[in-house]
Amino acid sequence: MNPKKQFTEGLITNNPVLVQQIGMCATMAITTTLFNGVGMGLSVLIILTCCNVVISLIRKIIPGEIRLAIFVVVIATFVTIVDLLLQAYVPALSEALGVFIPLIVVNCIIIGRAEAFCQKMPVGACFLDGIFQGFGYTVVLIIMCVVREFLGAGRFGGGLIDISNGFRFTLDGTGAGIQIFPESYGASILSLPFGGFLTLGVLIAVMQYALKKSELKKAALAEQAKAKEEKEEDE
Amino acid sequence: MNKILKLAIVLFLVCAVAAGALGFVNNMTAPIIFAQAQAKTAAAFASVMQAEGYEEIEFDKDGFPTVVTIHRATNGAGHVVTSTFSGAQGNITLACGVDPDFKCTGISVIEHSETSGLGANAASTAEVGVKFRAQFVGQDESIALSNAGGTIDALTGATITSRSIAGAVAESIRVVKSLG
Repeated sequence: MNPKKQFTEGLITNNPVLVQQIGMCATMAITTTLFNGVGMGLSVLIILTCCNVVISLIRKIIPGEIRLAIFVVVIATFVTIVDLLLQAYVPALSEALGVFIPLIVVNCIIIGRAEAFCQKMPVGACFLDGIFQGFGYTVVLIIMCVVREFLGAGRFGGGLIDISNGFRFTLDGTGAGIQIFPESYGASILSLPFGGFLTLGVLIAVMQYALKKSELKKAALAEQAKAKEEKEEDE
Repeated sequence: MNKILKLAIVLFLVCAVAAGALGFVNNMTAPIIFAQAQAKTAAAFASVMQAEGYEEIEFDKDGFPTVVTIHRATNGAGHVVTSTFSGAQGNITLACGVDPDFKCTGISVIEHSETSGLGANAASTAEVGVKFRAQFVGQDESIALSNAGGTIDALTGATITSRSIAGAVAESIRVVKSLG
């Protein structure tokens, strides 16, 4: 178990959206205001962590043949619980996210982590994996929301921040956000699903570029060290 | 045979635990969710008509398939019609007030799944939404968008949403007329 390595994996080197490229449907659809992004990210984080822990706990008694069926039952249970809780206590978020909360059942992040990680690993590692992968997902959603909301509607923090009466956070989604330039000047195409594709594509490209660069750098360093060693040996 | 039995039992146990957990949470949240839905409808009614109380009345459900309920205001201010019809993205549920002269007294969007920033403005509490909804006050059943010879200006980039709402308002007025 290596929490630090798991953290970097979840956030950067094995980020669920930008590197594994799973769970993209909801990512493109709901990232129109910061409120939606934070809400969806946290919902996935909570569901992912719960599912990871439960699946890891029962991994030894699950027969291999029916593991997928059991994963789906566990995931669907937690998704429904979170859905009901949101409807009861945060109705604004439940309304904004609409069908995407029930759709977390088939979000490949959760079943992907169950299949690739939790059926082999101990509970502690799975718990951390849920938190870090969920955090990586949330960060990507937040970046997409901020970009699309700013370019599309000239706003920051829609639903989550209210400045009409001093700065405060609105957890019921009523805040109007901070208007940076008039909404009518925004490229509203970025608020549409098309803008989701565009933003996500650019983000993935940037991420791949950065990863490639750091890989090349590492390879160059290794080569240098090797050359140095050989030189020393020659001497 | 034994193997199949074992698989079935494990799956059954997992499902039983899951069902138990869901039953518990549903039991806990159902009253709260119900109360919220009621509060939302009540707020929508209050925004389209001034009345102290309502009674639900019967109507011709086959003739008006999109109309869900009709409530008569007990103080004689008119009727509130709720209807569910398809917008640009999904179903829209709308409350529409109709006064005794068969004129619209106001509309309120109860539920929708229109595109945020475009069609969703119809339900928005921001200026653009308030202005859009205000246009419906005083309209009769000949209501139409301005590009179809009427006086309702459609929301920018949301002609389909605007048209379907105008159509639902006309339908709401017609159903109240049919009550006689």
